[in-house]
Amino acid sequence: MTDKNENNYILKTYNLTVIRNGKTLLDRVNLRIEHGSLIMLLGHNGAGKSVLLKTLHGLLARTDGDIKGPPAERQKIVFQKPILLRRSARKHFRFVCPGCSDKNTEAWFAHANLEAQIDTHAHQLSGGEQQKLALIGALASQPSLLFLDEPTSHLDYESTTAIEQMIQDAHAGGTTIIMTSHNRAQAERLAQHVLFIHAGQLLESRPATDFFHKPTDPIADNFLNHL
Amino acid sequence: MEFMDPLKLAFAMLLALDPELISIISLSLMVSFTAVCAALLIGLPIGALLSSYRFPGRWAIITLSNTFLGMPPVVVGLFIYVLISRAGPFGWLGILYTSYAMMLAQFVLVLPISIALSRQVFEILNSEYTPLFLSLRISKLNRVLVLISEARVALTTIALACFGRAISEVGAVMIVGGNIRHSTRVMTTAIGLETSRGELAKALALGVVLLAIALSVNIISQIIRSKFERNIVND
Repeated sequence: MTDKNENNYILKTYNLTVIRNGKTLLDRVNLRIEHGSLIMLLGHNGAGKSVLLKTLHGLLARTDGDIKGPPAERQKIVFQKPILLRRSARKHFRFVCPGCSDKNTEAWFAHANLEAQIDTHAHQLSGGEQQKLALIGALASQPSLLFLDEPTSHLDYESTTAIEQMIQDAHAGGTTIIMTSHNRAQAERLAQHVLFIHAGQLLESRPATDFFHKPTDPIADNFLNHL
Repeated sequence: MEFMDPLKLAFAMLLALDPELISIISLSLMVSFTAVCAALLIGLPIGALLSSYRFPGRWAIITLSNTFLGMPPVVVGLFIYVLISRAGPFGWLGILYTSYAMMLAQFVLVLPISIALSRQVFEILNSEYTPLFLSLRISKLNRVLVLISEARVALTTIALACFGRAISEVGAVMIVGGNIRHSTRVMTTAIGLETSRGELAKALALGVVLLAIALSVNIISQIIRSKFERNIVND
């Protein structure tokens, strides 16, 4: 995502490098993420997708390079396996969004179609409901940048559709989203732009339609054929 | 002595509200309850801190608490005796042969249990919650409080283990308490004394009471646990 005014970018990285135990997990990654875009981060297992998301969000320390992004309180992340406290869905939500009022909380549960589960123990919700709870918890503080690490893996069609709709709603509301997925159909449905990462290196950064039509990098092409 | 004699004597003493027996039981409960509460109050936050943060001295605290887990109670009693005896550095406190000294001894004995067991519980929870805590940028204090709140069911069991250790302790409280009648005599030291006197029926009666207390604490703990679990579900 280049050739834009610098102010158009919500997130920029300069030679972002992460090395752990002598292994290079991210290798001089340079990113330019536009405000309001929906980015799909693709790559094989172990390519560095989750490491990149966690490093961008500040959960992992970088070894070298720089990150320019919104302040921490304006960023949120949703993990592949939702991390929920051992308390009711309502109380978990209020923990992750302490500024949310009762009315606001109920509105978010209604948005996720979780009104009936609001007082259910968070760990007793189904996988899809848990992920929806994690997602509304992240969205409630109206972040300008949202990271989603395979938010629909292991979910059924119905839950996947519901979560995709919530992602699209958040995107339509102006939130910039960077997500990972191993589902080609989902990636094609949602992505405006694709980042392809392999062995910690960013090999492709192209509009989604171009990428899915024909990746330029042979590794990305091979990946897409097997996705 | 018939097999049922101690039971009969125990019930007779309890029903008659034998003042000496009641005094021994209430002192035992008071000493152990106070020692356990103090140990949990200090031990749980330390366990949470040890599991959550790396700081200078962390390794030393872990090693020390693990070492004290296996420390013989008489050695702890002796150590405290030396510290609080008239010639010791804390002799000015004047607590030797008082219930305070017994509380201190039990506190020293159960503190490592509360630290070591809670650290294990908190480490499991902490590894699960760390990404969430980091993402939310919550403060260190809040993190410790959340961990304690999340571990409340497991912590009930730890409290029970601490209480069991404290109330059944005999060697240390004998040394620092002195087993003085109407003053520092608790159930375990009384059992030892009555046995040495040949009053086996009385000793067994006290043993039955001690077992009944242990059983009651266990039942109360189970009730609290199930209530917590029910509350978690209905929360």
